[in-house]
Amino acid sequence: MKRTRKSQTVTMTTVTGPTTTTTITDGRQCVQVQVNTLSSITTPVCLPPVSLSVCRQCVQVQTVCPGAGEHPLQYNYTFWYSRRTPSRPASSQSYEQNIRQIGTVASVEQFWRFYSHLVRPGDLSGHSDFHLFKEGIKPMWEDESNRSGGKWIIRLRKGLASRFWENIILAMLGEQFMVGEEICGAVVSIRFQEDILSIWNRTSNDQMTTSRIRDTLRRVLNLPTNTIMEYKTHNDSLRDNSSFRNTKISL
Amino acid sequence: MSTAAAKEVKSCPIPTKVLTLKDWSQLPDCYSQTPGGTLFSTTPGGTRIIYDRKFLLDCRNSPIARTPPCCLPQIPGVTVPATHPMGKLQDLKEEAEEEEKDIADDNQFEMDI
Repeated sequence: MKRTRKSQTVTMTTVTGPTTTTTITDGRQCVQVQVNTLSSITTPVCLPPVSLSVCRQCVQVQTVCPGAGEHPLQYNYTFWYSRRTPSRPASSQSYEQNIRQIGTVASVEQFWRFYSHLVRPGDLSGHSDFHLFKEGIKPMWEDESNRSGGKWIIRLRKGLASRFWENIILAMLGEQFMVGEEICGAVVSIRFQEDILSIWNRTSNDQMTTSRIRDTLRRVLNLPTNTIMEYKTHNDSLRDNSSFRNTKISL
Repeated sequence: MSTAAAKEVKSCPIPTKVLTLKDWSQLPDCYSQTPGGTLFSTTPGGTRIIYDRKFLLDCRNSPIARTPPCCLPQIPGVTVPATHPMGKLQDLKEEAEEEEKDIADDNQFEMDI
């Protein structure tokens, strides 16, 4: 970590595998730039005034950074909440208007700060959902990251949602799924007679990925061996305008 | 120390089983269960930040994790307690409407006779 005398700017550069992450803090704002350095192009990063020249590889600018002494997450995640009154018809525009961001987290401690101040899913009323998605991915079928994707869903009888939601998001944040970049996010859906847990991934026809996600779910949620797990591609959802009907059953 | 005649103790290697898989479907159910809870201790292809459930839960108790987050939006029933006294009645009304809607949906399923 370098510290310049004049502007108290802290720069930290870490290299993890094919990605170089540079964190620049100028006391007011924290910008974290991740560059996939698959080629050997080096990225000069200038200290304030902050000007970045980056290569044309994939660049993600993250708006939230782990604080000092906090444990960073592999990815930043955003909490979302949505609620629908059943009388209102579901459409893409109304869905987008009904979901709202709660906050974005970059570290384990920031996650707990938000999570501890949210009502548990089992205590939500009406037709409500919590979503926890990687920063930059909207919890919508139409988002670019979800276009070729799909989701595993597990139906839960009433009373289980809070515990299962906690376990699935801890597994996701802790990178237990081991499927590279494939995980997009998780959703818990509170409905009238049952609750539904979903985990979304980028590529629905990647069988190795979807099998591994299914197996990890069985392990981290301690599902009985005869638990029915269903997979549905987002294209199918778009086609029948339904999240949970007409799924493919996997035993 | 035993004074009996020393017997030669054969050391046994730890029993292991080697599986060669031709396909991912052949992976046994218990493959992901290791003492740490994850399959790899160091991830191939670089470092990945992995936390097991126990570690994440332990972090919950640290003081930095307990302060309320700044700029938490105020959503009644989600981030702040629901204050509307009619809230419960409204929920029951919505649930009744939803039940009617679900029954209507069932009629749309095709049945093969």
